[in-house]
Amino acid sequence: MLPVLEESGISGLALWPARDPRVMIGSMHTTVVIVDDHEPFRRSARGLLELDGFSVIGEAGDGAGGIEAVERLRPSVVLLDIALPDTSGLDVAERLSGGDTRIVLVSSRDPIDLGARVGRCGAAGFIPKDELSGERLTAVLAGTA
Amino acid sequence: MRKLQVAIAAAGLVLGVIAYQILRDDLHQSVIRSLPAVAIGWSAIASGLIAWRRRPANRLGPLMAAYGLAVLIRPWQYSGEALMFTIGYALGQLNVALFGHTALAYPTGRVTDRLELWLVRAGYVFAVLIPFATLLVYDGGGLRYVPPGPGSVLLVRADHELALDLEQTFVIVVYGILAACFVALVVRKLVLATPRLRRILAPLLLAAVLAALRALTEFAFTFISPVPEFLDNLYWWQVAGQILLPIALLAGLLRARLARAHIADLLVELDSTPPDGIRDALARHLGDASLELVFWLPERGAYVDGNGVTVELPLPGAGRSVTAIAHDGEPVAAILHDPSLDEEPELVRSAGTAARFALENARLHAEVRAQLVQVQESRRRIVAAGDEQRRRIERDIHDGAQQRLVALALELRATQRRLGARVDPDVERVLSGAVEELQVAVSELRELARGLHPAILSEEGLAGALESLAARTPLEVTVAAAPPERLPPEIEAAAYFVACEALANAVKHADASRVTISAVHADDSLRVEVADDGRGGANSAGSGLRGLADRLEAHGGRLTVASPAGGGTRVVGELPCAS
Repeated sequence: MLPVLEESGISGLALWPARDPRVMIGSMHTTVVIVDDHEPFRRSARGLLELDGFSVIGEAGDGAGGIEAVERLRPSVVLLDIALPDTSGLDVAERLSGGDTRIVLVSSRDPIDLGARVGRCGAAGFIPKDELSGERLTAVLAGTA
Repeated sequence: MRKLQVAIAAAGLVLGVIAYQILRDDLHQSVIRSLPAVAIGWSAIASGLIAWRRRPANRLGPLMAAYGLAVLIRPWQYSGEALMFTIGYALGQLNVALFGHTALAYPTGRVTDRLELWLVRAGYVFAVLIPFATLLVYDGGGLRYVPPGPGSVLLVRADHELALDLEQTFVIVVYGILAACFVALVVRKLVLATPRLRRILAPLLLAAVLAALRALTEFAFTFISPVPEFLDNLYWWQVAGQILLPIALLAGLLRARLARAHIADLLVELDSTPPDGIRDALARHLGDASLELVFWLPERGAYVDGNGVTVELPLPGAGRSVTAIAHDGEPVAAILHDPSLDEEPELVRSAGTAARFALENARLHAEVRAQLVQVQESRRRIVAAGDEQRRRIERDIHDGAQQRLVALALELRATQRRLGARVDPDVERVLSGAVEELQVAVSELRELARGLHPAILSEEGLAGALESLAARTPLEVTVAAAPPERLPPEIEAAAYFVACEALANAVKHADASRVTISAVHADDSLRVEVADDGRGGANSAGSGLRGLADRLEAHGGRLTVASPAGGGTRVVGELPCAS
């Protein structure tokens, strides 16, 4: 099997130029809940998104906790990992879709390894974990990613 | 023994002639009405003597002969001689008890069932006691069955009314109650019998019908006057049946004997019988279609069937019998058979002995099969364990190193953002380089994990995995067909790896531009076909395809590769897969 990243449509080799911290990409009104079972990822993602002006108002380590947090906190965005310990993030997305909260899926897997359901589960978009940034999240939410 | 048999034959001849004379002269019967008793008696005596000579240990022969003698003695009750009348009346009714005894003792010569035993005893008691009691009071004034004559030599006190009542009692008890019990017990015996035994017991059905007919006609002759014509016709059917029954019993008895005569044929036949035909040959020769053959595997300490699968021998009383075949004191095989064959243990054993060398051969066959089954099972387990290990490592990479590296990359990126333009350009370069390296490491790990086991295969099944594979391959790949349903994970994995390996070959070696993948699940099998338009000439003994063939064979499937030079390559994997 050949690694054929170019064909996947996702650049795995993007450069990340330094940015002026005063340029706020997200808005303090954009509230986010992060659902991921990996604590270091939640911490890094929170730091990164807050730097870009998002307001991370909650975290959850599994699908059930994620649903609970979203229903309680009603964030603008939920950053939802696909591989959760108790269920699939795709199931959680299907459960949450149709509400006010927009769903952005994250995974350290390539979307091509996740199948067609990623596009059908009601999520606004998908971001590979290693490519996460406020800018990328904004682009996904704006539908330009 | 020989002398006794000759004496019985001679007595039978003489008694037959006497019976005919009495029926003609004393009862003034027509020739046609005088012959049946003689024919029935002779048929029973002849069949009995043949059975006795062929099966000296079986009491059925003497029983049949005795029944025939009783039938021939019975007409003496019509004799004008007082002594002959008395003997005929005293012993003649025994034929009824002997008839029942013979039928219920068939085919072993012994009555073992408790109820049947009681019925036979009751038959003898009533067939002896009532006529004897009648003889004590009968003065020769005539009975329903007996014309007026000389009377009994045993007369103690003449009481004609009592004699008539006793005669009627005999008919009611013997032809009413006991005959009904007999029919019921025969039906019960047939219903409870195993299929093979039921075939052997078939003549008893004739016996039951005869008993019923006889009871009906005896009742008619006793209680209805004049006798309706249709009952007279029944009488003739009954006569025909009574002549045939001893012959049918003899034939049934000798069938096993005939089977033994076939043992020599069996020996010859087995010489040219393949190991998997031995069971059929034995089943045919022993007349037991349900027969099973199991072989002893010393190293396993267990019996196995022809396919090498361990078999538990049936416990006693489980409705199956077991005859072990040994050679030099070592068990070779066992025949599991219908319990009716227990009556002829020497037959089963001699058939088994005849088949011994063939069985020894078949045992080796079964042994090899057993080892093959073990090897196949262990091969499947090894592949399954390998698959499981790959799944686990994929998950470990994904949940462990990959997550840490992702978190680290994000951390470094956040640091970059915090420091912004204030940072030294050298530091900025190092940070950027580190983030870049981390992303390369993450995607390399992703490739490694996917090569071990594609997560999409577990998540979405074969159809999703094949679509994903097609999308990742830098060729024009069409997935023409894929089963929408989920299949067992090991089958999905094997099929997926067929497509993977074939696609990798198409990319690396075949110089192909277009590939078509199709996976079709039908008729309990999954067929994966990958065809490219490349230059062909693929070597199916190459390590990649060989490993793939091993994987498929471990699941009972097979791999075929057609790759003519210049004609593209077609890789077909077939896997058994129950729907």
